[in-house]
Amino acid sequence: MLEGRAPVDETGAAMPDARGPARVRFRRLGRQLGGVVVAIVVWELVSVSGLVTDQALAGVPSTARALASHLGPLASAAGGTLEAWAVGLAIAAAGGVVVGTLVGRSRLAEAFTEVLVRMMRPLPSLALIPIAILVAGLGLKMTAGLVAFTSFWPVFINTRYGVHQVENLFIDTARTLDLHGGRLLVQVILPAAAPLIASGLQIALSLALVVTVSVELVGGTGGIGSFVLRAQQAGAVPTMYAGILIGGLIGWALNTGFRAVVQRWVPWADRAERRL
Amino acid sequence: MTAAAMGSGRAAATASRMRARRFGYWGLGWLGVAVAAAVWQLVSVQMHSSIFPTFAASAKRSWDLVDGPVLHQDLIPSILRTLAGFAISAVIGIVVGMVTGYYRAAREWTSAVFDFLRSLPTPLLIPVALVLFGLGGRMVVAVIVTAAVWPVLINTANATAGLEPTLVDTARVLGLRGRSFMWRLVLPAVSPEIFAGLRVAISVSLAVMVVAEILGGGSGIGYFISSAQQSFKITDSWAGVVALCLLGWAFDSLFLLAERRLLAWQRGTVGGEQHG
Repeated sequence: MLEGRAPVDETGAAMPDARGPARVRFRRLGRQLGGVVVAIVVWELVSVSGLVTDQALAGVPSTARALASHLGPLASAAGGTLEAWAVGLAIAAAGGVVVGTLVGRSRLAEAFTEVLVRMMRPLPSLALIPIAILVAGLGLKMTAGLVAFTSFWPVFINTRYGVHQVENLFIDTARTLDLHGGRLLVQVILPAAAPLIASGLQIALSLALVVTVSVELVGGTGGIGSFVLRAQQAGAVPTMYAGILIGGLIGWALNTGFRAVVQRWVPWADRAERRL
Repeated sequence: MTAAAMGSGRAAATASRMRARRFGYWGLGWLGVAVAAAVWQLVSVQMHSSIFPTFAASAKRSWDLVDGPVLHQDLIPSILRTLAGFAISAVIGIVVGMVTGYYRAAREWTSAVFDFLRSLPTPLLIPVALVLFGLGGRMVVAVIVTAAVWPVLINTANATAGLEPTLVDTARVLGLRGRSFMWRLVLPAVSPEIFAGLRVAISVSLAVMVVAEILGGGSGIGYFISSAQQSFKITDSWAGVVALCLLGWAFDSLFLLAERRLLAWQRGTVGGEQHG
């Protein structure tokens, strides 16, 4: 069968047991916080023990101090990263959903793009960074362009698959009820495909962040990636860890936020069959 | 002619028509690739720009890469690093995933920390890895593992947590305990999800390998692409990207082949389409 149709899924899936009675939820929250505390303690112990050279690992207190004293530069670096991320992702999301819907509705278009998708999907787009720098120069336009190109694929692949696999029963029923064309698309097909589109977007948003940070590291174009690289080159290890921490928090906040949005607006995604 | 013979004759005709149709789709897929290549060729000839070589030139150059010293200097090290990082990620991801998936307490203690770590854009860790491991292969492998372990781990954990209770209870009643329970029941039962995670992990490995090599591989295809760019051998850069594209495609195809072999036993026993 058409292998490339299988969407890249699951990397963004939430851990199970998202709900439960209050007592169970409370215990879970306690354990999660406990886990964070344990992780911080282990981090500090490893750093104090000298197992890892202090050129590569800063302790918890010094990282906290660096974090506090670099709040301004960190905020502007985070802003730069988020700007390129948002512009690129918006283009990718719009393009991926539109093209994916068009292709997914046609058996021929799907077959036509099949091999191409299978070649582009595992393409490490990060390899294009050096070329993109040459073609577009350093700057927001280049970063956003590369982000858009890279994150287009998961959105496109999942939308194409989601639109393709809408149950015929739904479509036939809608047709009998005299829904056609645009209304059929908006009221039946897209909602039915929404869970898969959402998981495509979830992958795209992490991927977009990885690409943004990579371009910043390679090109030195500002943002959190350049912040971390500059701190490392200056030998300011705690500052470097402050940057990494902020980068992680950005990624975590985006992921968690998006998951909440999906739960709110696409509640049927939970119940939908989880395709791999 | 008996009715049965007529029936089987018709079945054979249907089968051959289906085969013809599948072949047609397959051909159409490759036609799509050819059209994309032709568009590249036409646009680049029109633009006549030194930073955008023609498809023919890039493809020819990438054949030179495979057929020259670059194969041993850069391509093979990259392949080995990717496979090493992928293999380590697979082992860690499957083992930790099964444990955290099976024991609720382990899952709850780790979930917040894992959530943070997998949201962290991995390229930010490259400066740390550079200090720890220096330039070269070990650094690249370490960075790959920090990224590729997550899709495997999360998929394995989710699938293990969602194991059918009847299955688990039956195995218990039949006396499966401890390690043999994990190896003989859990691992086979969750293998489809593990494979889905592994498939994502292999493309993540390739992508991260490239960035790590651009920033400090010392050798490898990422290093090749970026140093070609720095010495304005643009066709070489493009050729490197084409080679990577084919590499990703080859990995993905081999992977699907292996999956079909290894999971052949469960075709028909588990839901999903039967391959004819």
